[in-house]
Amino acid sequence: MSSLFVIQGRDQGYRFEFDSEQLPVTLGRDAACAIQLHDTEVSRLHAEIRLVDGKPVLVDLKSSNGTFVNNRVIERHELASGDQVQIGCTVMLFTGGDSSSMGDLNERIRIVPEQAADNSRIVRTMRQEEGTEIFSPDFDQTQSNWLARARSNLQVMYRTALAVSHTLDIDELLRRIMQLIFEWVEADRGCIMLLDSETKQLAPRVRRDRKSDGKGSEKTPDNIDISRTILDYVMEQREGVLTSDAQEDQRFDSAQSIVRQGIREAICVPMQGRYDIVGVVYIDTLVPASRVITRGAKKFTDEHLKLMVAIGHQAALAVEDTNYYSAMVQAERLAAVGQTIATLSHHVKNILQGIRGGSYLIEMGLNEHDETLVRKGWDIVEKNQRRISSLVMDMLTFSKEREPDLAPGDLNSTVADVIELMQARAVEKQVSLSCELAANMPALVFDPEGIHRAALNVVTNAIDACGENPEHGRPAGSVRVTTRYLPEGPFAHVAVADNGAGIAAEDLADIFSLFVSRKGSRGTGLGLPVSQKILKEHGGQIHVESQLGQGSTFTLELPAVEPEPPPDGGISARETWQGEPVSETGE
Amino acid sequence: MRRPERIGGRWEVALLSEGSSVLIVERSGEIREVLRTALQHRGWHIYEASRADLGLELARRHHPDLVVLDLDEQPADAEDLSSEFSKSANDEPTPVILLGAVRRSSANPGQFIAKPYHYQPLISKIEQLLQAK
Repeated sequence: MSSLFVIQGRDQGYRFEFDSEQLPVTLGRDAACAIQLHDTEVSRLHAEIRLVDGKPVLVDLKSSNGTFVNNRVIERHELASGDQVQIGCTVMLFTGGDSSSMGDLNERIRIVPEQAADNSRIVRTMRQEEGTEIFSPDFDQTQSNWLARARSNLQVMYRTALAVSHTLDIDELLRRIMQLIFEWVEADRGCIMLLDSETKQLAPRVRRDRKSDGKGSEKTPDNIDISRTILDYVMEQREGVLTSDAQEDQRFDSAQSIVRQGIREAICVPMQGRYDIVGVVYIDTLVPASRVITRGAKKFTDEHLKLMVAIGHQAALAVEDTNYYSAMVQAERLAAVGQTIATLSHHVKNILQGIRGGSYLIEMGLNEHDETLVRKGWDIVEKNQRRISSLVMDMLTFSKEREPDLAPGDLNSTVADVIELMQARAVEKQVSLSCELAANMPALVFDPEGIHRAALNVVTNAIDACGENPEHGRPAGSVRVTTRYLPEGPFAHVAVADNGAGIAAEDLADIFSLFVSRKGSRGTGLGLPVSQKILKEHGGQIHVESQLGQGSTFTLELPAVEPEPPPDGGISARETWQGEPVSETGE
Repeated sequence: MRRPERIGGRWEVALLSEGSSVLIVERSGEIREVLRTALQHRGWHIYEASRADLGLELARRHHPDLVVLDLDEQPADAEDLSSEFSKSANDEPTPVILLGAVRRSSANPGQFIAKPYHYQPLISKIEQLLQAK
């Protein structure tokens, strides 16, 4: 499974997943795209990911604003894990599927007592400070070109690793680190082991092998046996070590066996994080016998060790960040779930209380053959039935990733429906509800049900906001709903103005937050977030102006899209419109 | 019929009939309506208020025999409210039935009813407490 994770843009947090069997997939603004981005700078059909020789390739489809991978404009690009894909204002992180199943790593990476290992011994050790000095500004860069280049690459790696860490996938992060190590160090095999937070034991997480002949021959790699003594030394001393299995005395005495087998050199470094060691990185290489004889045994040098110590530290930081980040996300998620349940159950509880009250009156009325009582109880039951249906509708609208169900319609008649529906509530709260509908409003393409819901929530709030005016010594409540057509946008506005309590400036920022309600237990805190979501789905927005003690005006603004005339000269949407022209309703 | 009295800008209706009097302090007009209807049916006087402060004013003026107090909408320091109601109403302590989401203190152990409640047990409880007086 490969994925594109949106790290920047309107769809931030979204993860698009796809299998290689599903390729090609298209990226664009169009609803037909498998990866649809709500970004106005993205073309309708912007780019495509194809499968070429079994590998995912990103191809730009002559988009207006171009396709970028890792900040470079591309026409086609073979995607690798960690690539940052930018189209329009949207930045996504590509994570490739893990094609080669590794099997059980515990079988293939073993920690062994020294006797069973290959007599490796430590030939050099290095502390973290010594390794990390390659990052310090006064580090002598003339010392080694190789190290200087590695250092700049390491910084690139760290940034990428940070981005990867936000995918919350530690193994992906470790694979990426291993990949980088193999780009810079001539290692044959490598693995990363992380300390299990519960058992306090090292557990292998990733392994990488250099393909021996470059053609990717699929021979099963050998086990990596790592000496327990060396691991303990690394963990306890917090030092990186370079080891070799060539014994000083054996180098000459056992020349026969070295010639046959070569010498295994290894580097093992601690992953020293901010507070503690989170694991170890191990790489090794086999120095071929021919090289041992001609150029001496050394393949891994001090510089390699220095770089590895630095990488170990950076990798540990990235692992810590990932752990911290996922713990944070988890905590936030749990908190949000808890809040959701608490808010909803409180609301449902109130509705249930109302239904019980209504039922009680109905029962009383039936027992006493009192139809007035039955009627009274029935009204209460019905009112609560409407409350629960409205709660469910808001919940559905909010939870669903939905496309607005666009159809040509008349905005004025949608608004008039809302006014008519809300008249009863207005009368009950002694609020005058009136509306003024624009005579020049053309037929528009919008989701009538969605806009109805959005307007209903805002009008409900307006009535509630000024329903308590007399109690606070303010003039009688009044809500005025106005529709406007602004050809210069073109926009259509539905403005809902009340003379209620108004909203304090410091509270304005919060009004669209989920479950934030200023109505106490009567509010679900769903209304405005739902309205805003619907308007955003239309490419519109909600403007708010409010003055404490004077009242508020909420303006729903949606782009005015007029229906295209049918090509065959048939009946236009405008002519099929059934609504009566409404000028003024209300009290 | 006693004339409706206006307190704090809201009409608080008090009906005169034979028997005891009950004060209902409850924000939800719907719940007040149900309780009022059911209790009036039993021939009791009902005073009702939508907020605690308005209710307290009614309690001091009319000395009801029992108070039904919904604490769900009250601020956290409202725990003392029930004892205030209990003291304010009469010479002898007035029974207070608390309605709420969770019991907030050990005071009034027998007179707490958790929401959502059924009306029949609540009304039986009111009857029982009024008869005991």
